[in-house]
Amino acid sequence: MSRLLLMGGVAVLVSSLGLLRAQAPAESRSVWDGVYTEEQAKRGEAVYQKECAPCHGDMLTGGESAPPLTGGAFQANWNGLTLGDLFDRIRKTMPQSAPGRLTRQQDTDVLAFMLSVNKFPAGKTELYRQSEMLKEIRFESKKPAAKD
Amino acid sequence: MFLRKAKNAGLLCVSVLTALGFIPSAASAQYKPKDTEWPSYAADLAGTRYRPLDQINASNFNDLEIAWRIKTDNFGDRPEYKLEGTPLMVNGVLYATAGSRRAVIALNPETGELLWIHGEHEGKRGGAAPRQLSGRGLAYWSDGKEERIFYVTPGFRLICLDAKTGMRIPSFGENGVVDLKMNDDQEIFPDLETGEIGIQSAPVVAKDTVIIGAAFREGMTPRSMRNNKGYVRGFDVRTGKRLWIFHTIPKKGEFGYDTWEKGSAEYTGNTGVWTQITVDEQLGLVYLPVESPTSDFYGGHRPGNNLFGETLVCVDLKTSERKWHFQLVHHPLWDMDISSAPILADITVDGKPVKAVAQPTKQGFLYVFERVTGKPIWPIPEKQVEVGSVPGEWYSPTQPIPSKPPAYSRNGVSIDDLIDFTPALRDRAKEIASKYHLGPVYTPPTVSKLEGPLGTLTLGTASGGTNWPGGSYDPETHIAYLYACNACVEPIGLVPAPKEISDLNYIAGVAGNEVQIMRGPGENAGADSPKPPKKRTPSQYVPMNVDGLPLIKPPYGTITAINLDKGDFVWQIAHGETPDVVRNSELLKGLNIPRTGQETYNVGTLVTKSLVIAGEAQVTTTADHPRGAMLRAYDKASGKEVGAVYMPAPQSGSPMTYMIHGKQYIVVAVSGGPYSGEYIAYTLPTAGE
Repeated sequence: MSRLLLMGGVAVLVSSLGLLRAQAPAESRSVWDGVYTEEQAKRGEAVYQKECAPCHGDMLTGGESAPPLTGGAFQANWNGLTLGDLFDRIRKTMPQSAPGRLTRQQDTDVLAFMLSVNKFPAGKTELYRQSEMLKEIRFESKKPAAKD
Repeated sequence: MFLRKAKNAGLLCVSVLTALGFIPSAASAQYKPKDTEWPSYAADLAGTRYRPLDQINASNFNDLEIAWRIKTDNFGDRPEYKLEGTPLMVNGVLYATAGSRRAVIALNPETGELLWIHGEHEGKRGGAAPRQLSGRGLAYWSDGKEERIFYVTPGFRLICLDAKTGMRIPSFGENGVVDLKMNDDQEIFPDLETGEIGIQSAPVVAKDTVIIGAAFREGMTPRSMRNNKGYVRGFDVRTGKRLWIFHTIPKKGEFGYDTWEKGSAEYTGNTGVWTQITVDEQLGLVYLPVESPTSDFYGGHRPGNNLFGETLVCVDLKTSERKWHFQLVHHPLWDMDISSAPILADITVDGKPVKAVAQPTKQGFLYVFERVTGKPIWPIPEKQVEVGSVPGEWYSPTQPIPSKPPAYSRNGVSIDDLIDFTPALRDRAKEIASKYHLGPVYTPPTVSKLEGPLGTLTLGTASGGTNWPGGSYDPETHIAYLYACNACVEPIGLVPAPKEISDLNYIAGVAGNEVQIMRGPGENAGADSPKPPKKRTPSQYVPMNVDGLPLIKPPYGTITAINLDKGDFVWQIAHGETPDVVRNSELLKGLNIPRTGQETYNVGTLVTKSLVIAGEAQVTTTADHPRGAMLRAYDKASGKEVGAVYMPAPQSGSPMTYMIHGKQYIVVAVSGGPYSGEYIAYTLPTAGE
């Protein structure tokens, strides 16, 4: 636990100094570390509303047969996994009528929008567009304890 | 290995037999399923989900371990994350639908070894289907010599397979196929390839008749008040010949036609039976739980009570002649459907034996009738309900409300139902609720207005109470076990439908937001993509939670045991671990919160000699287990939890059980979130292991 907290502290420090994200220890980052930008989330919203909202609802609350993409159940599903896992799920299976139809950039933007709706903080750099790199960002539903 | 391909009307089917000679043959006498088997979707045609097995019991449930497992990723051209099937186990073979192709697989029930697989490649017809993916299951039939498996493809074709080989039986229909879009007393529009009609439930075989209902797209935002109709048909199990059809929307001259004013029976559609059908073979009676008519939340284009929408209809198994009916909801406006199998129960009321049928519902009422006559066991009086003010809407001034048993889940929203862990949270919830119209069951939808109300806040509607997994029933003790979502809150608002989107006056939506056509999973999203969104203001986004905590107070999900002899509750428990978001909330630190259950609507139960067994449909991460869900067992007499076994993902299909060669197994479908579909079989360790 203490190791995690310490690493989280490093990430915040790096972020606040505006250093390149590649310089942060890869395993230290989580969705709480400002891993997307507001601008990216806005782009993602436009894609989401066109491609995803018909099933998942324009507020991400899900439909009768499509799960919500926000809220406790959604976050519990992904808690402890990585953004790479979530990205792969989107890439492999969405939109359901034509999986893989969207570009990596569009999928990444949608992911950024989902993070913003789920109230994970925005930062200064955009999300990676490759699953292997996104696997370095942990999805943690619970905000880490306050750092010194 | 044996591989054969067959062409049928341009559609390709593939069966692969992997272990020829491995499959047992049915005995030569008329085959009677044993109570160690699971021969139909709900265990039996009575919809009980009950087997009197007891090798797995309270003393050893925690010892369960995985006997075998099978991922369904490769049974289709993409993995599926919504595996809802319940397998069958009959005559030594386990059968299931699986994967995004809705393939049929036959497995060795002890080892999970694949015996054969059958898939239908339907091309555009399958891709355009309103109800895709693996479906809920299949049906088995045998005359003691032949064994057949029936299932319906996403493209709405009834397929008859040889249970031993997985090959189509050529003498059935046309080369083993009945095209269900044909011979339906209506022309499916716009064409057979893309015409909206399908089904995801398992066929029912009763005596020598295969019974098939129909399903459609989600009905909140239809493009038109006109749609195909969901008639129910019976087919000869040997030839595929249509034996009968029941018009769930009466044709001119038929009983009930006049409940559709202004000729609305002519064009209104849906009104199918998309869930499981129940049959009393002895009495020769079929029980049809009929869903909502076109447009779930706006009925202005279908004035009148709309028979047989949201009606339990009893018809003759041989002729489909209507014996009786009871409309649970007049002029449906809440998407209550009838969403699960009616349960046949031979009970004792006031000392007298009664053949009854009990209908669980989304609205949390259990309607209990004498099943030959349709007479309610306990009075179901018509009670006055609120009449709304949506322009053009037609309202029923009364609705039938059972006097007994009491509602087993919440079906209306009042301030008292809101989150109340702390006064501050209650205040926040009241603020959210103030934007909506509240009221008891059958409070009608409102037009959504920016200045309020944004809609009617409802419980016990679209995803409330009991949904497609249905309930369970113990025929020995006369107790029904019903899972229900108590907190699946649904805001229902209506907005004028832009003419380029729909020809209805109103469809579901939120004032200020772009009007969207809501789709179900797998629907074709290519051709008519909605327009880009208009800019929205933050005030229109009203989350149904308070800082992530559910808006409605616990219990979120329950199992209720109801004594059907008396109409009383025996027990009611919260089912499911307290969600992470509640357990870990900083706002609730220091509070002692008993297990809350979960806000999930699709939990199926299984009843055995001593246990009620149900998995969780939501993932949690606790000190006791890593991210996953638990399959829980309760003492069926008391509701006390007696064991739990870990699953890597939520239960997404209802559990079933069987016994073979002296060992009992429990099989459950799991999937969801990051976890693609998998059937997992649990059993007890062999002594000495």
